[in-house]
Amino acid sequence: MTEFDPKIVGFLCNWCSYAGADLAGVSRIQYPPNIRIVRVMCSGRVDPAFILEAFKSGADGVLVAGCHLPADCHYISGNFKAYRRVTLLKKLLQQFGIEPERLRLEWVSASEGDRFATIIKDMVKEIKKLGPNPLRAGGKTSG
Amino acid sequence: MVDKVGAVLVVGGGIAGIQAALDLADSGFRVYVVEDTPSIGGTMTQLDKTFPTNDCAMCILAPKLVRAGRHANVHLITNAEIKKVKGEPGNFKVTITRRARYVDEEKCTGCGVCAQECPVEAIDEYEQGLSRRSAVFVKYLQAVPSTFAIDREKCIGCGTCQEVCRADAIIYEEKDEDVELSVGAIILALGFEEFDPSLKSEYGYSRYSNVVSSIEFERILSATGPYGGTVLRPSDGDLPRKIAFIQCVGSRDAKLGNNYCSSACCMYAIKEAVIAREHNPNLQCTIFFMDIRAYGKEFDAYYSRAEEEYGVRFVRSRISDVKKVLGSQNLIVRYVEDGEPKEEEFNLVVLSVGMKPPKHVEELAKTIGIKLNKYNFCSTETFSPLATSRLGVFVCGAFSSPKDIPESVAQASGAAARAGSLIATGRGKLTVAKKLPPEIEVSDKEPRVGVFVCHCGTNIGGIVNVPEVVEYAKTLPSVVYAEHNLYTCSQDTQRTIREKIKEHNLNRVVVASCTPRTHEPLFRETIREAGLNIYLFEMANIRDQCSWVHMHEPEKATEKAKDLVRSIVAKARLLKPLKKPMIDVTPVGLVIGGGLSGMTASLELAKQGFEVHLVEKEKELGGNLRHIHYMLGSEDPQERLRSIIKEVTENEKIHVHLDAEVADIEGYVGNFETTLTRGSDKKGINHGIVIVATGAVEYKPTEYLYGIDSRVLTQRELEEKIGEGEFKARTVVMIQCVGSRNDERPNCSRICCVQAVKNALKIKELSPETDVYILYKDIRTYGFNEDYYRKAADEGVLFIRYDDDHKPKVTQENGTLKILAMAPVLKTWFPIEPDLLVLSAATIPNPDNERIAQMLKVPLTKDRFFLEAHMKLRPVDFATDGVFLCGLAHSPKLIEESISQACGAAARAATILSKKRLEVEGAIANVNEDLCSGCRICEAVCEYSAIEMKEKDGKLVSSVLEALCKGCGVCGSTCPTGAISMLHFTDEEILAQVRAALKEEKKYD
Amino acid sequence: MVEFEPKIIGFLCNWCSYAGADLAGVSRIQYPPNIRVIRVMCSGRVDPVIVLEMFANGADGVMVMGCHPGECHYLEGNLYAEWRIKMLKKLMACAGLEPERLRLEWVSAAEGSRFANMVKDFTNQLKGLGPSPLASEKPDETILASIRAAERAAGTSRLRTLVGREKELAEEENVYGEKVTQEEFDKLMDESVKEEHLRSRIYLLTKDKSMSVKELAKHLSVDTRVVLRHIVVLRRKGLLAMDRIEGISPLYVALEAR
Repeated sequence: MTEFDPKIVGFLCNWCSYAGADLAGVSRIQYPPNIRIVRVMCSGRVDPAFILEAFKSGADGVLVAGCHLPADCHYISGNFKAYRRVTLLKKLLQQFGIEPERLRLEWVSASEGDRFATIIKDMVKEIKKLGPNPLRAGGKTSG
Repeated sequence: MVDKVGAVLVVGGGIAGIQAALDLADSGFRVYVVEDTPSIGGTMTQLDKTFPTNDCAMCILAPKLVRAGRHANVHLITNAEIKKVKGEPGNFKVTITRRARYVDEEKCTGCGVCAQECPVEAIDEYEQGLSRRSAVFVKYLQAVPSTFAIDREKCIGCGTCQEVCRADAIIYEEKDEDVELSVGAIILALGFEEFDPSLKSEYGYSRYSNVVSSIEFERILSATGPYGGTVLRPSDGDLPRKIAFIQCVGSRDAKLGNNYCSSACCMYAIKEAVIAREHNPNLQCTIFFMDIRAYGKEFDAYYSRAEEEYGVRFVRSRISDVKKVLGSQNLIVRYVEDGEPKEEEFNLVVLSVGMKPPKHVEELAKTIGIKLNKYNFCSTETFSPLATSRLGVFVCGAFSSPKDIPESVAQASGAAARAGSLIATGRGKLTVAKKLPPEIEVSDKEPRVGVFVCHCGTNIGGIVNVPEVVEYAKTLPSVVYAEHNLYTCSQDTQRTIREKIKEHNLNRVVVASCTPRTHEPLFRETIREAGLNIYLFEMANIRDQCSWVHMHEPEKATEKAKDLVRSIVAKARLLKPLKKPMIDVTPVGLVIGGGLSGMTASLELAKQGFEVHLVEKEKELGGNLRHIHYMLGSEDPQERLRSIIKEVTENEKIHVHLDAEVADIEGYVGNFETTLTRGSDKKGINHGIVIVATGAVEYKPTEYLYGIDSRVLTQRELEEKIGEGEFKARTVVMIQCVGSRNDERPNCSRICCVQAVKNALKIKELSPETDVYILYKDIRTYGFNEDYYRKAADEGVLFIRYDDDHKPKVTQENGTLKILAMAPVLKTWFPIEPDLLVLSAATIPNPDNERIAQMLKVPLTKDRFFLEAHMKLRPVDFATDGVFLCGLAHSPKLIEESISQACGAAARAATILSKKRLEVEGAIANVNEDLCSGCRICEAVCEYSAIEMKEKDGKLVSSVLEALCKGCGVCGSTCPTGAISMLHFTDEEILAQVRAALKEEKKYD
Repeated sequence: MVEFEPKIIGFLCNWCSYAGADLAGVSRIQYPPNIRVIRVMCSGRVDPVIVLEMFANGADGVMVMGCHPGECHYLEGNLYAEWRIKMLKKLMACAGLEPERLRLEWVSAAEGSRFANMVKDFTNQLKGLGPSPLASEKPDETILASIRAAERAAGTSRLRTLVGREKELAEEENVYGEKVTQEEFDKLMDESVKEEHLRSRIYLLTKDKSMSVKELAKHLSVDTRVVLRHIVVLRRKGLLAMDRIEGISPLYVALEAR
């Protein structure tokens, strides 16, 4: 059997985290190729529906990354909104039978390429331990 | 009258130069930026974080640099210097020498393959010598321009880079060349040099490897620095446990001839200590200082946090020397504290180096024809802080005096205003606007997506199987064309893209290459030139976020690249053309407050050709300046005030409304409607911008018998007394920090130390035998004012320090005013019986601030001063567009700083007023009124006041003020009924992108 | 006691030296049996990495022989051999192996006796030097590791590029039409060889286990400052990463070369 290779969707804010992911590239910091990045202008833009859709479509993990608290947000306080929303959603996920650990919120600044890579490495490792998304494993995915 | 040349030369591409350039280019002038090094960005690019917000420096700076790099009217001339300046204000001819960089700026894509293959290594100056770079190099990773350059001194000319460069960008034949520019004005933003700490040999710098300069320490802290952001010491790579920071290295040092204070070092040292502690919680940081000069906005609060939350230890002391411990790399710092010699061992010593004038400044001053002051900084005057001695040549940033980033940025905007005023008649004459074909209607057509996949030389193609990705892209729904390019960003590929759009009737374009953060604007421009709306473009990042980070897994990287392309194509299919809304601009300014700042801002706006309404609640203009009777220098402030008032009242573009108040402000950027009241009279005015210059007031002390004993005065009252010739006293005591730096108002009032020194010197001038005592906590005579502090001490003014536990005690016994002060070294209370006790009362916010803030929907700080959009890089802007801030309303500051800020606010305002119509972002929030329940949650979450509620068919619905929306999307994801969609990042688009990222999609054919 | 018989590897170019060796045979000129000849088409083909590999495997000496200058069958292959050998000798010196164990000689197809004399002379010289510290059953581990590092260094693009460019630069003008003096070039080469060798040693040491700056410095008898500086560069190149921090010392680990 081939090893389980998790699929992760990452919602990255344009100004800090997406730039941080770019910097990981510019610095050639290697990390596992499991993440598919979706660029949003602000982490505060990430609607819980997007995260749920990702899990429904078979993502084994979802990362939301934004600018550092408290003051780095390009839009002043979008990161706080992301924080509140993701915290709440983690509670809900449990009810859907999805381990809350599959959803992560991280702050990554534009100069933290290394940190971004470390987060991805760590996340892939953790999700490998958790195994495939139960929705996917149970074959309940729609569409 | 002959028109002035509508172009400006900015010398220096640091943060100040860039800010000045952007402000001018945004208000209708062509700008040339001449930068000495191969890339812009200056010192700020080397910093890890910035105080007092701990923002990552690069995060906030990079967008500005990218913008300057791409601005149609900003021309960056890097690796260049000024050779000759001829002509007169309004019409200069400047000769620039462009030093050969041996790399074609048009062709270089910044891919970096040359540097990887270059066999020659050199010291990396950007990393302060802590790392190496190759002989062909780019200054720093995110450099603008990202064009490489050859370090001719190190290069051996082996030819390797030319061979490996697929873009054909290396030109060894390049020679230095002279360029002549016609400009109407010149702005000098030359910045500073760090003091070379090896000149203070007692500190052991360059002898001991664990003694580093503060700028080296910034690199040590930085995640992109030599140690990857782990704080290590250079001697053996171990984590230091104890770090000492030594202040005033090269500043406040008469022996070296640098008597001035470098103004920023106290704060950056505190910041470095705090950040170092954040990196390593076991770290113990000690700052050895003479005075902590945390005089800026919210700085003292930061200082206390450093002490209380981060355990930073502050030792008021004089350093004798730094010695290495025998047989170890540790260092002994020997110092004198409270008159007692002490010593302590540390693992690392950071020297807080001061600012020196830029390199070769004398030569440059001669070339440009400007005067320098005695320290070789640019010579300026209090009431004209932005003007040099040559007309038409302005100055900003650290070149006029050592200063921190926000001051530099405000000054830069200010210098832009002064330059803009001078050449206002040339506005719009030299700017370029592209001619574009009409947009092709696509909304009624099936999506036809074209995909262009980039090899980026070998950067992508060496890992990802690019042809395979192209073949795969062709199988995706709606994709009608796909190809690969060696460099998709090259100029010939831009032509190809335009051709293919026509040939295949493409109506959506996807480029799979590097990052949209740097390249989206280029491709958007390209498709627009082919008649497509710019929002019909999307990018898949298969280099920075794929090939570069999965170099050992080419197959998986190829799979990922396919997924990324598939997912972005899924989004691209749904893209809709968006209009950038245009809003009309009323080219009229409203300035609230008729003090020095308000008048200065009004004058600058009027000189730029805009009508201004200046509203002052009192019966006369002048504000706090009316109470200032003499200066530290020779200027006569009252005479200056009279001439400014005359200029304001005589200027026909300025409408002064005295004894008037702003009762109501409605509207948004470009279109404000304001009601002024004067008694019972009401008057409506329309205007495009607002400048808040409401000033501040002097605190009325409740301490130290003020108001009880008539011999107790404030500094201002003393000055009035002296001004009126009524001063007479044998002994005067001054107490600093009355009403500031306490529990109620934790921050410093900034101006009182200078004011006390000024008044003390005046007393000594009028009556040399009068004894003057100044009881202080820290003397904060930053910048060149340090000279006056020294002068006061030399003239016998006695400075006695007190701390919060030993505040002076003031009593009145049998009619005698008696003060007990603690003598620091002797540790005993001693009595003084003065004839006058002068309190340096705090500068406190104008009580009107609350009302005005509410009206304008702008925030206040905890201290109730106005809070700008960003403390570092947007010091005179509010987050709300079209509203600006200057002077004491922002925070306490000196006259020259208020003038700089006022000019700065005018320049920022001019970027709006100079446009007939404003184009605003198209990717903004959009409300479906049928779905809106009127719950107002969106209104509450919007930081930009871009949502207002309006009535429609009897129900309350939210509505987006297009002019104010920044497109973050927070309202959309908060809306409980799904009524708000974020254009260009709609739910459907993101959901399609997410789904396609995870699942295969095939064409249905 | 049995007299020490050095093992010599000879890389001989097909057109001149190999033919010269044949001629020695045809002419029945006697020479010591210590040499094992490997035929290569051109002395310029002899890769520094291969030479070092020979030493790592216990060769007491390596001879590279090619056509006399100006006579190379491939025009200038022998000159490239000369630059390479020069660099190799520098690397060997860094690695603590006597550079005299490597010799480059020109032997034409007509010089059978010259060939025999060379072999005799080299054999005697090596006898004088004694066995290579890597030749015994238990080779000197420090030198072996150091030679392995030299092998790696010889493969870096920095050294390969420099060697490859020496001829052009030394004999002709550089891309700017200037002359690079031999001294300038040698200085650059010396520095680069030392640095790349040290970096390779650090890289290879941290492949087996993660090590701190101090451990590495002790192991390599180099100043900790120097080690740290090289670690900075190796990290930049993506060859080394901080593995973990033990006490107050970060430990570094080599990454797979990319």
